[in-house]
Amino acid sequence: MTSAPLPARLRVRTISGSQHLDFIRSRPSVSFLQTPAWAVVKSEWRGESIGWFDGDRIVGAALVLYRKVPRLKRYLAYLPEGPDIDWLGGDLERWLDPLRVHLKDQGAFGIRMGPPVVTRRWHAGTIKQAIADPVLATLSDVPADVNDDTALAVATSLTRLGWKELPTEGGFSAGQPKFNFQVPLAGRTEEDVLAGMNQLWRRNIKKAAKAGVEVEAGTRDDLAEFHRVYAETAERDHFTPRPLSYFERMWDALTAEEPDRLVLYLARHEGDLVAATTMVRVGEHAWYSYGASTTAKRDVRGSNAIQWQMMRDALAAGATTYDMRGITETLDPADSHVGLIQFKVGTGGEAVEYLGEWDLPINRALHLGFTAYMRRRG
Amino acid sequence: MSGGFELDVDAERWRRHLTTVVEATPGIVPVVKGNGYGLGRDLLAAESTRLGLGTIAVGTYREVPEALAAFGGDVMVLTPWRPFFDHVVLDDRVIHTMSRVEDIAALAAAAPGARVLLEGETSMARHGLDRHELAAAVGVLGDLQVEGFAIHLPLGPNGRAGGNFAEAQSWAAVLEASQVETTTLYVSHLTAAELTALRTHRPNLDVRPRIGTSLWLGDLGALSVHATVLDAHLVARGERIGYRQKPMPRDGTLLVIAGGTSHGIGLEAPKASSGAVQRGKLLAKGGLEAAGFSLSPFTIAGKQRWFAEPPHMQASMIFLPAGSTAPEVGTDVDVAVRFTTATFDAVNLR
Repeated sequence: MTSAPLPARLRVRTISGSQHLDFIRSRPSVSFLQTPAWAVVKSEWRGESIGWFDGDRIVGAALVLYRKVPRLKRYLAYLPEGPDIDWLGGDLERWLDPLRVHLKDQGAFGIRMGPPVVTRRWHAGTIKQAIADPVLATLSDVPADVNDDTALAVATSLTRLGWKELPTEGGFSAGQPKFNFQVPLAGRTEEDVLAGMNQLWRRNIKKAAKAGVEVEAGTRDDLAEFHRVYAETAERDHFTPRPLSYFERMWDALTAEEPDRLVLYLARHEGDLVAATTMVRVGEHAWYSYGASTTAKRDVRGSNAIQWQMMRDALAAGATTYDMRGITETLDPADSHVGLIQFKVGTGGEAVEYLGEWDLPINRALHLGFTAYMRRRG
Repeated sequence: MSGGFELDVDAERWRRHLTTVVEATPGIVPVVKGNGYGLGRDLLAAESTRLGLGTIAVGTYREVPEALAAFGGDVMVLTPWRPFFDHVVLDDRVIHTMSRVEDIAALAAAAPGARVLLEGETSMARHGLDRHELAAAVGVLGDLQVEGFAIHLPLGPNGRAGGNFAEAQSWAAVLEASQVETTTLYVSHLTAAELTALRTHRPNLDVRPRIGTSLWLGDLGALSVHATVLDAHLVARGERIGYRQKPMPRDGTLLVIAGGTSHGIGLEAPKASSGAVQRGKLLAKGGLEAAGFSLSPFTIAGKQRWFAEPPHMQASMIFLPAGSTAPEVGTDVDVAVRFTTATFDAVNLR
């Protein structure tokens, strides 16, 4: 009988931004919320890049954002859509125990993370059928087209290690969404992607082209124009817009990391800006992050045209996933969110369920107090 | 012939009931399992043929060979197929129930072309695939032929069928949204009204109810169980009798009646509604029960009587207090039985 040598103990320590970036570049992709640049965007949090070391070799990395408790030098350590470790290889304790030790030394009273682990996928056709079926009210009610048992087992391991999943409401927790919509690009051509869309999307893309809508990449100076349309969208759709300075900071931080990390798209019709979006890409994963459109000239279908341009550019850049980000879990046609899902479903992509966000209290009293404080803040 | 523990069936009345149920229940699959609901599986298989039905459902693979011999149509096995079963019958007329992804892959390898049902795991939590496993199940089907999708629902409120409509609706929707390519849905424990509603809501589905008890035992008036009195002895208070030499509580008659443990007498199925109140009532009854006696299922002179000692394999000893008229040796008394645990010396269609 042969036995494998015992795995060496992993150690977690602070790494430099450039070490972190080098590791990210060696990986197919990580979430853009896990890049060193994101710490610069989230300036109200203290950011730290950390690495997992097997001897001298770096084998995992994360961006930690520290949120300070009022009046105390204690922090919630938040790893949005991270860390980037070997989630499915088993023995999670080997990875998470040194993480806890390190973050505790940094003054964390609790850890929150969002394992970038996909548990289930639903194809567009399945979702479309489910929306039409009054009995199937949420994605969880609908039989998934792909079920990853190994990924689902991670939840059991986390629970065993003392982590607790944050409750979500309709798939939206306070943090990152549990359900996302993605268009797979791996091994597909532009024609394949177009053919996978529903008729309405194809017709609208054609319509925009025929109407003369032109989509181009913008510069930092164009952010102000983007922001004007974005503010109009915010008013129309009743959400609170972020200030222009936020987008400028994002631009500066992300493009400094990689010139094409963030791209601004502008769709114009006869000189009028009708839609504007941003796309973020880390390796093989491209995200549609912010989007805006004018109320005027909706019939020229600037939104479809701009999405199609982003998808084509993502494909050309070698992306395997075009990510349209969060959707709610609801499939109830009476729910106002269902329109957004239907728009995304039209691309022919798939809904994916992540493992959700998880908390590990280090100091239970402080953690409880903080959770209550966050709930009151709403 | 008489002289034992027997079931008499008023054949005309019973068959009238069967016909009524079958005509009112399109797509019915009669369940012919276990002890054949007291009537015997062969009789039920023959009745299924007489009723012109194409499929019957049996409980286990052990029951399949007999069913294939007694019935000319398809035989569906309710117990899910497992790779470790050593008595599986592979036959073109057998439909296997599949409830685990790994089992489907195993059967697809062992018996390509076999006919299968996929079963969903309902709130019964007994057997079945999780809804999110259906795609994986379809992925490993290989050459297996999917004949339908099955759900086994719990009994509704008060232990009766019904009350599961929401769950049935949900599973019907799941089936339609899933990758499982069948439009046949086998259901258990829905009322006639629920079946109608399900068909109305799901016009694309062929809803087929699997029915046992309410078909075969739906008209208990057509069935009568009787046991022959084999012997009678006068006994005095304090006299010791039987295997256990138990003293009699008072004077009376000791009756030896056909029907013992081998017939299912004295075997009690766990009661569904034995709450604290129910148990309290039983304790409070006292009397012979408190003295260690148990109430028997035999009714004599209009009253349920007490066992004089635990039932034997073939007969029971019943105590009849003095003052009651004892039946003659050779005559029959009525017995209340749980048909699913009863074995009769004879089933007489009259």
